[in-house]
Amino acid sequence: MALTYALLVQGAPYTHQAALSALRFGRAVVERGHRLKTVFFYHDGVHNASALMTPPQDEVHLAEGWRSLHRGQGTELLVCVAAGLRRGLLDEGEASRHGQIASNVAPPFELTGLGQLLDAMEHHDRMLTFSP
Amino acid sequence: MALHLINRSPQAEAAYRDAGALFVEGDDLLLIEDACYAALPAAADLLTPFRGRVAVLDEDLQARGLSGRVDARVTIVDMTGFVTLTEKHDSAMSWF
Repeated sequence: MALTYALLVQGAPYTHQAALSALRFGRAVVERGHRLKTVFFYHDGVHNASALMTPPQDEVHLAEGWRSLHRGQGTELLVCVAAGLRRGLLDEGEASRHGQIASNVAPPFELTGLGQLLDAMEHHDRMLTFSP
Repeated sequence: MALHLINRSPQAEAAYRDAGALFVEGDDLLLIEDACYAALPAAADLLTPFRGRVAVLDEDLQARGLSGRVDARVTIVDMTGFVTLTEKHDSAMSWF
């Protein structure tokens, strides 16, 4: 039976293995015929959402990996707004509100609150945490 | 019944102690990332509380050059096996 999954990612890209583990697990979930509904980026995990991420071409591109999951099956890519603002991860709206010169979070990543994480925990069949 | 995930090396004994304290009959433990080192025979004592219900992620073993060195009591699973374990258990707890 197909299950719905949510992932909580708390590790910064290229620092700890957490983000890569979560991405590989997410792909395997999809390959097994399940639905990966939500990925929530929290703590240093918010750096996964940087639109400016530019790794060398022969290395894993984590942000692009997340975007491709969204393209493939509409996976929500939710970023904690409080964790993001502290670390300089802002979408256009937040950048404008705070008078910043640029933004670096763009769709399909969305800045949201912790309420969305609770929603995901409540509504999906499985929830896994990937932390440093 | 729950799936427990540990990603810390055996040096982070607290993660193993805490997971072991909540581990009950029917639970499974999966070792990922640096927890692969706990699958070696030298770390067998650390896994006693998990009553032989221990698996380790093959991709992470290979990345660390540990293939072929795993304790015979530990099951090796690939990423699909990881997903299968989450199908079997309603909840998954990560210890870090």
